[in-house]
Amino acid sequence: METLTKTNAVSLSGLKKTFSTPRSKVEAVKGIDLQIQTGQIVAFLGPNGAGKTTTVDMILGLTQPTEGSAQILGLDPRQAVLAGRVSAVLQTGGLLRDMTVKETVSVIAHMHEQADRIGEVMERTGLDKIAKRRVGKCSGGEQQRIKFALALLPDPDVLILDEPTAGMDVMARRDFWAAMRVEATEGRTVIFATHYLEEAQNFAERTVLMNHGLIVADGATEDLRKLISGRAVSASFPSAEHAERAAASSDSVQVAERNGLRFAFRSSDSDSFAAALLTEYQGYDLEISSPSLEDAFIQLTKDPS
Amino acid sequence: MMSTYIRVEFARHFRDGYNLIFALLLPAAMYILFGSIPSYTEFELGAGNVKFYLMISMAAYGAAVSTVAIAGTVATETMQGWGRQISLTKMPPSMFVSSKMIVAATVAGASAALVFALGAATGAEAQEGWIWAASYLIILLGAMIFACYGIGVGMAFKSESALGLASGLMVFFAFFGNVFMPLEGGMLDAARFTPMYGYVALARYPLLKDMPAGVDMAPDALWIPTANLVAWALIFVLFAVFATRKAKARQ
Repeated sequence: METLTKTNAVSLSGLKKTFSTPRSKVEAVKGIDLQIQTGQIVAFLGPNGAGKTTTVDMILGLTQPTEGSAQILGLDPRQAVLAGRVSAVLQTGGLLRDMTVKETVSVIAHMHEQADRIGEVMERTGLDKIAKRRVGKCSGGEQQRIKFALALLPDPDVLILDEPTAGMDVMARRDFWAAMRVEATEGRTVIFATHYLEEAQNFAERTVLMNHGLIVADGATEDLRKLISGRAVSASFPSAEHAERAAASSDSVQVAERNGLRFAFRSSDSDSFAAALLTEYQGYDLEISSPSLEDAFIQLTKDPS
Repeated sequence: MMSTYIRVEFARHFRDGYNLIFALLLPAAMYILFGSIPSYTEFELGAGNVKFYLMISMAAYGAAVSTVAIAGTVATETMQGWGRQISLTKMPPSMFVSSKMIVAATVAGASAALVFALGAATGAEAQEGWIWAASYLIILLGAMIFACYGIGVGMAFKSESALGLASGLMVFFAFFGNVFMPLEGGMLDAARFTPMYGYVALARYPLLKDMPAGVDMAPDALWIPTANLVAWALIFVLFAVFATRKAKARQ
C-alpha cells in the first residue's frame, strides 16, 4: 500500500523511440513500461544496441519519445532537470579538452546556480588534487570522475549513469564504484546502464534486462543471480546415448545446447557432474565455464519465472 | 551563470595562442605589410587616404575571420557532447549560443580595434572623426553574419578541421570579395556576388561615398553592397538552421 502514496522516482509508460532517416527506420526502443521507487539502485543491463542509452536519453528529456511518456518524481524530464532533481553521467564525450578541471566544474556549477557546492564536490570526488590540469591531459578514469562530479553538482535525488565505466581499466573501475557506493548511500535513486553483468551483481538491488529495445527481464538482482548461478559444462561423447544418460543422472542437470555429439549442460553442482561425466559417461574434451551475459539472456528469455 | 561562462571562454582563448595569432596578430601584421608600401599609401582617397582604406580592409577581414572561428565552436562543442552536458543544467541552449556570440563580438572588436589603433599611429587619415566610428561599427556588426557561416560549417561537418577550412576559405572570399586588393573588370563584376563584397564595401562607404561615379575606386550605389550583405546574411542563416537541424536529427 505504501507504494501507492509514494511518488515513483522514475515512471515510464509505453515508451517508444523510432529513429527515421529517409532510407530506413530503426526502432531503438519498442515499448517500455517501468516503475522505479525512490531510493532504489537499479541496473539497466544489456548488450550494445539494446536501447539502454536511448531510454536514458528519454528519461533525461534529451530525446523526445516517439510514443509514451517518461516522468521523474512526477515531473516532466525537463522540469526535473531544471529543478536540479535529476542529473546524469553521460556515456560519450561531454567534456571540453582545453578547459581545466576546475573551470569545467565551475561553469557547470554556475549553470546549475550551485556555485557554493564547487569546493565540496571537488573534494569528495578527489578532483581538488588535479584542479588545474586540463581535461585533455586527464586519464579516462579521471575524466569519468569529472563527469561524476558534474552530475553531483545539483545534489540530485535521481542519479543516472550511462555506462559510467566504459573504457576504464579494472583498477579505475573498482575505484569508481567505491566512490559511487558512498554517494548512493545518501538516499539517492541510482540508475545505471551497463553491459557488465558483474557490475549489476555487485551494485544493483534490482536489474532490468534489456535487449532489442525491450525489457526481457526485471527483478531483484539476487534472483537473477540465482537463476544463472549454475555453470555450463560441455563435453563430447562417443554416442548420443551416453549424453542422454548423463543428462538424466540428476535433477540439477539440463541440456542447454546440442551440436552433434557435443553437448552443453547446465548444472548447479558442476564439480560432481563433471567428475561423473569423465568417469561414468565417457565424456571427453570437458569444458566448464561460468555463465555469460548471453547465457543470462537465453535463460531469462526461455523461462520468465 | 553567463558571466562565468564568458570568463572561462576568454581564458581558453588566451591559452590557445594559435587562435589569438589568427584573430589578432595576422590582420594587424597584414595591415603593417600592405599599409607601409610608401609608393601609394599616402595618396588621398575619398574622404581620407589609402592607408585608411587598407586599414578598413584588414580590420574587416580580421573581424570576420575571428567571428567564424569562435562561432564555429558552438557547433563542434555541441556535437562533442558538451551540448548534452549543458542540456542537463538550468542554462538554456540559447544562452550558450549568445555567450559565444558575445565572446566572438569581443574578439572581433578587439581585432578590428588593434588594426584601427595601428592605423591611427601610422598615418591612416579621414577628414572627419565620424568616419572612423561609422567604419568601425559597420565592420563589427557586419562580421556577425559570418557567425552563421561558422556555425553552419561546424554543424555540417562536425569537426575542428572543417572549421579550420572554413576560416581558410575566408581568405578566398576576401580575395574575390575585393577586400585585399582592388579588382577590375570581369573579376569585379563577379566579386559583387561573393559573400565578403557587400560587407567590406559598406564598411568603406563612409570613406568613399562622395567620390564621383566613374573615378577609379569609386563606390557602387549603396543598394548593391546592401543587397549583397542582406542576401548573404539570409543564405548563412538558412544554412546554419538547416545544418543544425540535420545534425540534431542524426544525433
